[in-house]
Amino acid sequence: MGYISEKDKEYLKGEFDKYLKEKVKLLVFTGDNCQYCNVAVDIAKEVQDLHDAIEFEEHSINDELAKEWGLEHVPTVVITDGDKYGGRIRYVGLPSGYEFSSMIEDIIDVSRRTADVSDEVRAQLDMIDKPVKIQVFVTPTCPYCPKAVRTAHRFAILNPNITGEMVEAVEFPEWANKWNVMSVPHILINEDVQFIGAYPDEQYIKYVVEAYKKL
Amino acid sequence: MELGFVLPSASRESKEVDLAIIGAGPAGLSAGIYAIRAGLSAIIIDKGNAGGLAEDAPFVENYLGFEGIKGEELAKKFKDHARNYVEISERNEVKDIIPEGEKYLIKAESGEYIARAIIFSTGTTHKHLGIPGEKELFGKGVSYCVTCDGYFYKGKKVAVIGGGNSGAIAAIYLKDIGVEPEIFEFMPKYMCEKAYQKMIEDRGIPYHKNVRVTEITGDEKVTGIKYEDRETGEIHEFAADGVFIYVGLVPMSELAKKIGVETNKWGYINVDQKMRTNVPRVYAAGDVTGTAGQIIIAAGQGAVAALSAYEDLMLS
Repeated sequence: MGYISEKDKEYLKGEFDKYLKEKVKLLVFTGDNCQYCNVAVDIAKEVQDLHDAIEFEEHSINDELAKEWGLEHVPTVVITDGDKYGGRIRYVGLPSGYEFSSMIEDIIDVSRRTADVSDEVRAQLDMIDKPVKIQVFVTPTCPYCPKAVRTAHRFAILNPNITGEMVEAVEFPEWANKWNVMSVPHILINEDVQFIGAYPDEQYIKYVVEAYKKL
Repeated sequence: MELGFVLPSASRESKEVDLAIIGAGPAGLSAGIYAIRAGLSAIIIDKGNAGGLAEDAPFVENYLGFEGIKGEELAKKFKDHARNYVEISERNEVKDIIPEGEKYLIKAESGEYIARAIIFSTGTTHKHLGIPGEKELFGKGVSYCVTCDGYFYKGKKVAVIGGGNSGAIAAIYLKDIGVEPEIFEFMPKYMCEKAYQKMIEDRGIPYHKNVRVTEITGDEKVTGIKYEDRETGEIHEFAADGVFIYVGLVPMSELAKKIGVETNKWGYINVDQKMRTNVPRVYAAGDVTGTAGQIIIAAGQGAVAALSAYEDLMLS
């Protein structure tokens, strides 16, 4: 008996058959003293088994790739094409609860090699030519959080300078404390600009541009 | 930690349908099932997750057939069931609706939909209190969602403002995850169901009646609240690390108003017994109609609205 129910697997297979195009890599970075690493690996394996386009790899948080992408915490789950997306679409902590749906949508978008935003938002995204890191603090029981995570990840898919990182606040309380996270989703851009709430793209991008302009 | 797995529904294609259902809470999901079974083509569009405010309810004990279930789980069951019938487009906000002859053009964040009929099952959102400190300290201890933020207050004291059903449930949820809540209710009596009153008493959660909260205090972070005893007029202070506000709901009826749908003075959409609004082939169901804010009623109204749409589109 796995983590994902048989009924849910059937549904996901249908969705993946409909939408998956190119290969998607599901990378799980693990390490010592990690309560949820095994769970993250098991879930990733179960998701891999649902479609041929999904490839699972387990990595050590101490390996070269982790260093290259600047990963430090375990578990970290990265969804990538293995090329242009690098390690920019990621989850620090377990993508469970509502965030499981974010991960599935990310897999679909990464496989499509694109994401949906309006032309207006796209134009603003295209301006960003320096590294911007968007971190989204969440709890797995927050129904509003996936929207904020997905926005960060969609932006990362569309612009190679943007990194979108979900941080599971329950698993990393000290990290959440450092930024005074008391309501989620709490969005932190370049460890500078912060806002709280699941805003529409048009408002979200304004904060991203604000952080970019400070660079 | 309990592991749940919420699945996404991400319909992307623009299309033409008989019926567009805006809002995927219990009313919209139920309407979707009834519409497809009746023979209409339909799509449900929601700006957030399917499930609506039912997702926010820590537990539900009055939905027929379920003696006690987490709102999140019940919402998942609704969604799983509806998805067998009808396409649901989540995290896809409807931006505009434009009448075009006998049809409506629905412009969403991703995709445009043409529909012959619309059900507004857009629901409600949490009301703000409008007292000093509320806006300033939002995200610094002020919250409207216990399932989202309750965790941050484990072992700490919080005030729950509003002692109706949702405030009562919020306080019970908080207590059960290890937070120390106290409830502050404006009216001089318990404003929640007897069943919740008993749970509050069993858990020893203080329920302050006949008090008006006047201010949320704190500078960088919430430090507490000030409240007036409405009988004596005395002002008291209560030290707390967090404040959860559950003082009622406001309807989300702006889109409906834009196409001429009439509402009452509070913004709830006026409907007849068949869930028809004043605009032909436009219906409303669920909390946006201003009924009791109950999942079972929303689901029932959704069914009625879909059947009325079927009647109007197919039988007349």
